Order: sequence, then C-alpha cells, then structure tokens
Amino acid sequence: MNALFFRLQHRYAPYLFVAPFVILFLTFTLYPIAKSLSLSFYITNGPKSQVFVGWDNFRFLWGDPAFHRAVWNTCTYALTSVFLQLPLSLGLALLLNSRLVKGRNFFRFGFFSPHLVGQVFVAVLFSVVFIPKFGLLNRVLHALVGTAIDTKWLGNPELVMPALVLTSLWMYVGFNMIYFLAALQSVDRELYEAAQVDGAGAFKQFVHVTLPGIRSVAVFVTVLSTIGSFQLFELPYVMLSNTAGPDNSGLTVVMYLFQNGFIAGDLGYASAIGWTLTMGVLVISLAQMRLTGTWKRED
Amino acid sequence: MKNRLFSVELPFGKAPALLVLVTALTGLYLFFHPVETSRATLRLWTFASNHAVPYQKAIPSFEAVHPGTQLEVQLVHGDAVNSRLRAAFWADLDVPDLVEVEISRAGSFFRGPAEDVGFIDLMPILKRTGYYDRIVQTRFAPYQNRGRIYGLPHDVHPVVLAYRRDLFEELGIDVRQIRTWDDFVRIGREVSVPGERYMIELSDNNAGHFEMFLFQRDGGYFDAEGALIMDNEVALETLLFFIPLVAGSERIGSDLGSSRLFTQAVESGYFLSFICPDWRSKGTETDIPRMGGKMALMPLPAVHVGGRRTSTWGGTMLGITKSCPDPELAWQVAEHMYFNKAELAERFRETNILPPLKDAWEHPAFDEPRAYWSGQKLGRIYADLADDVPPQYASPFIETAKSKMAGVISSCAAYYRENGREGFEEFARARLLAAAEEVRRYIQRNPY
Repeated sequence: MNALFFRLQHRYAPYLFVAPFVILFLTFTLYPIAKSLSLSFYITNGPKSQVFVGWDNFRFLWGDPAFHRAVWNTCTYALTSVFLQLPLSLGLALLLNSRLVKGRNFFRFGFFSPHLVGQVFVAVLFSVVFIPKFGLLNRVLHALVGTAIDTKWLGNPELVMPALVLTSLWMYVGFNMIYFLAALQSVDRELYEAAQVDGAGAFKQFVHVTLPGIRSVAVFVTVLSTIGSFQLFELPYVMLSNTAGPDNSGLTVVMYLFQNGFIAGDLGYASAIGWTLTMGVLVISLAQMRLTGTWKRED
Repeated sequence: MKNRLFSVELPFGKAPALLVLVTALTGLYLFFHPVETSRATLRLWTFASNHAVPYQKAIPSFEAVHPGTQLEVQLVHGDAVNSRLRAAFWADLDVPDLVEVEISRAGSFFRGPAEDVGFIDLMPILKRTGYYDRIVQTRFAPYQNRGRIYGLPHDVHPVVLAYRRDLFEELGIDVRQIRTWDDFVRIGREVSVPGERYMIELSDNNAGHFEMFLFQRDGGYFDAEGALIMDNEVALETLLFFIPLVAGSERIGSDLGSSRLFTQAVESGYFLSFICPDWRSKGTETDIPRMGGKMALMPLPAVHVGGRRTSTWGGTMLGITKSCPDPELAWQVAEHMYFNKAELAERFRETNILPPLKDAWEHPAFDEPRAYWSGQKLGRIYADLADDVPPQYASPFIETAKSKMAGVISSCAAYYRENGREGFEEFARARLLAAAEEVRRYIQRNPY
C-alpha cells in the first residue's frame, strides 16, 4: 500500500504542485486573452449582444481620428519618458553614486519616495499644483514675474502634455535612478583605474566604461519605461477629472480603450484597441532590443 | 525516527502542510463568518449625497405604508454607478432595483437592442397614473429612446444667473438693464480686468457652459428623432457668439477648471457672476457662506429681446431595472420619493432642487424669501422659468458628441486667441463639421 502511494506520489506530485498556477493562469490570463482576441472581431453591447464584424473594428480604428490622437499623445509621452526621464535618472544615479555627495542615502530615499505613494495620489497632488491662478505653480510664477499668472495648465491643449510629463518626471526619475544606481555599483572599479592609467578623463570613462557596464540595465529600463509609457492611464485620468482633457490633449491609448469598453460599452472595439496596442508595444520593444544589440550579446 | 514518521504523514513536507492548514483555517473562518447579505426587499442606488439623505429620511414613512418591505438606499459614487451598473447589467448580478443615473450618462444605457436595455419602459405607467401630464414635458426628453421612457425625471434644473449683488452695485451695474446677452457682454467688457476680474465664469475647454447657450437657442446635439444636429446653423451661431466671451483680448469669461477654487474666486470677486442652476444655488449657499446677503439671482439674459430667459444644466433620472422582482413595488418607491408633495417641499428647502411635478410648486416652500439671496424668493424664480426649460434629447452617442464638442470649443478658443475674428467663422464651421462627421462614423457602424 505504502509503495503504491509513494509511486503515485512520485508520478503526480509535480502536476499537483503546478496545478494551482495552471488553473489560475488558464482562468484569469489565457482565457481572457483568447476571449479579448475573439471579441475584437465583434461590435458588442456588453457580453450579451454581439455582432460579428470581421476586421471592421481594426479598419475603423485605422481611420479613427480620436485613436490617432491617442497614439500621438502616447508616443509623445513615451518619447519624453525615454529621452528626458532616463537621462535625468542616470544623471541622478551618477551624482548619488559619487562619494563626494554627503547624505547619499537620504537623497536616494528622497528621490525614490514619490514612487511609493502611487500614481493616483501623485495625480491628485499635481492637479492641485496646476490649478489656474491659485495653484502652487502659478503662485510661484507670480512671485517670480510679479504679475498675476492665469495659466490653465490642464485647460490649455498645448500645456496638458507638458504638465503630464512634468508629473511623471517627479514620480519616475527617482524610481529609474535606483536601477541605474544598482548597475553603477556593479561596474568593476578596476576598469576605472585601468582607464585612468590609460589617461582617460571623466567623460571618456563614462562613455567607454560606465555606459558599456550598465548597458543591460539601461536596455531593461528603456524597454520597461516604454511599455509603462504606452500603458499610461491613471495620471491623465485623475488629473483631467475623468476626461481626455481639452481637445483630447490628454487622451492616451489605454484611456481610449477604457472609454470605449467601459463607458460606451463596446468591448469589441476596446479589444481591438487593446490588441493594436499590444502589437505596437511588442514591435517597439523588439526594435529597441535589436537596436541596442541585446540579442547579439546574449548569443 | 519521530521525524521519519512525521514525513510519512506529511509526504510533501512541512511547508505545503502549513499552506494547507492556513487555507483550511481561513476557509473555515469564511464559512462560519459569511459576508452579510442585504435583507432589503428593494435596493435604490443614487450617486448624489443630497439625494441620498432625503431618501434615507423618507424610508420610514414608506415602510410604514408597506409593512414587510425593507428599502435600502445606497450612495454610490457617480463614476461607479456608471461602471458598476453596466457590469451588473452585463453579468445580471447585483443589479439594484432602482437606480438614479446622471443625465449625460443615461443615453449610453439605451444602446443596443431595445430588449437588452436594462430599464423597464415607464411610459405605460406614467400614462396610466396621469403623472405624464403633470411633469414638465421637456424633462422626459433625455430619458426617452425609441418611443420608450426609461427614466423618471428627478428635476427640472432651470438655469439663472447668480451674481455678486454688492459688487454689481459698487460697479454701477443695474441688472434691470440687462435683458439680452448683448447687454450683458457690453457691460462685461467694461468691468472685466484680464487675470483679475471676469464678468462671468465660463469655460473655454469643456462643453458644459457652451451647452447652456446652445440649448437656450433651441439647439442641441440630437433632435427629437435622434438625428445628429450638433453641426447645424444654430450650433455655429452659438459657437460664434460664445468663443469671443472666453477667448481673445475682449473676453469677459474665465474658469478655474476646478470647483475647489470656485469659492475663493467668488469671494475674491474674480467672478462677478456665474451660471446657476437650482442645484448649484444650494452648493453656493453651503460652500460660500460668507457671501450670504451679498448674492442675488436674475433670469439669464435672452438671445433676443423677449426671448427665452433660461436654459438647463444637469439632471438625473430614476430607472426601475428589469431585474427588479417587483416592479409595481419599485414604482411605489419612485412615487413616494418623487411625487409626495409634502416631502418634495421639504426636500426643496434642503436642496433647492425644483421637482418636475408642476403641482408641487404651489406649496408655500417655493415662495419663501431666502436671506442668502438678498431676500429673493428663490423657489419662485426657478419655478417661473421651469416651463420654458429647453429639451435635451438623448442618444447612446451623447457622450461621444459632447466630447467632440468640447474639442471644437477648445480648438476654436485657441484659434480665436491667435487670430481673432480673421477667418474664425470658416474655421469654426469646418471644426464643427469635422467633429459631427466623427460622431456620424460611430453612429453609422452601430449595428443595433
């Protein structure tokens, strides 16, 4: 009896161990993914009434000005994330990695801490900062220039994206800094010493020692930031009071998905948006990895 | 030896055994402490606390007349009503028996085949009980779709102009001289100081304020037949009139984009006046108490002499869901909450909201002078304008249309700031047409 028990246990135990994950994965990940793919070929009014439309959702999306606007806004945000946020993060990391800076741990925590409070809180905080006339930013500008500043940061289509970028900088620069800091600390000190012996100055050391040393982390942070940027939702949603902002200036792809799926009730169109976004992010991430030579290095 | 025995009994080791134990204990706890389920016979969702409080007060009197019935009023956040109700309809789970929906969101619930709309048609019962003729007719429009009425109007929401009486007097403005918007704008240009003081609170980037001007001119997003009219000549005329009020060097309006600072703006005289539907008059009393006795109301200036002196802003419907097991009882709840004259009068005192039941306005509560509003009879001011409130027609695409109109306003304001009147009419016409075309694309692909 015992032998049979141990034989069965030996054979089925692995399945038993992976079963919880597999069941949850199938139910809450794989099935919704498959369902959303099938839904993207329907126009729906909730799950009960669905009309098969083939590729029509994707065709409509192709000519939908609101979607174009959402893609434009999201790309603008993503580009600023990569080209503004990451250099700032790296700069901060370099600064706080230097032994010359006193109280580094305090500053590290200080710069990282905005990330701890979460996007919704940050959005609420900054929507107050950006209030016209009486908001902190306008008051500071008023004090600087001496005349009443009435700028509507979140009410002017041209200023909405800069306001969102500014908010995200405050939130994510410190977060990405931690990755860069960890990478910088793992660069072999002897390489710097060797470079110094060869007569390399600070800039050359940065280009030829630091950057190659943190390359894999930099690629990881870039890909992560890009994916995160394309998923932007909470910040504009809260800061623009559940709207897409003036003239859709704060409309992002995920927000447009949300509006169609959960406000207009067309889950089919929302799924088509979701799959288009997924494909877009996949292509961009693969391109980034190819351009940065990640695969070549792994090979 | 002991360890070996233990491992036989626990073949997968201690850690999985501990997990199983924790799972079993939590499972047992949950089994013996189930989440308390509501024992209410009927559940009503509302999104406004100033609705919920009087409804909760009215529960005992309803339950006294209907022994054995337990009514529960739940306050649900406005956005949550939208998403939770939609999810509840989709899943047919946890659907309330009665629910209040905000006017701009109501239309989206009428999408799809008529048999899939989650609310019952109230038209037959309204006709049978005679309430149909006793309610301000235009208030059915937003809740009507394909000949059915899915919601009972909670309010009329006529709009007047609230102004700082003390500052108007200081500036020598005589409101009796303001009969048309042209009069208002002329005076506004004399007293407005950019960045310091504006004649009126008006937004240059959302459709809310613009709509009131549009409705006042008998315009709208959709007509009674559900056809899109947001790009007709009335809309263009309204746009050409409205944009110079909020953009350019001669603007007389501004907004702060946030209700949080409205109090400060009124107190400091940044806004001399603002558009004030009945519900906002109560908010003003509560949020800006220091302005008591310094504020007054006047009918909206008309578009032309002798024209309509009001418009409308906001609204709520009460719908009975198809999941309700006892629609007759639910109707009695609706009747109790919406048509009980004594309760309506008391509610008016608490909320300033004018009920749509016309005979309710005969109650003395509507003729009481209000100290806050410089002794004016607030109820009578709104009631006198109520029959003239323009209709707002519903469509499942109303939110899309509103969002596109907001884009038009925003871009027209930006154009006007840059170029003034030069080429403005052509630009505004083109933007309106483009926005309407976008909405038509959505409508045309609708298979229902």
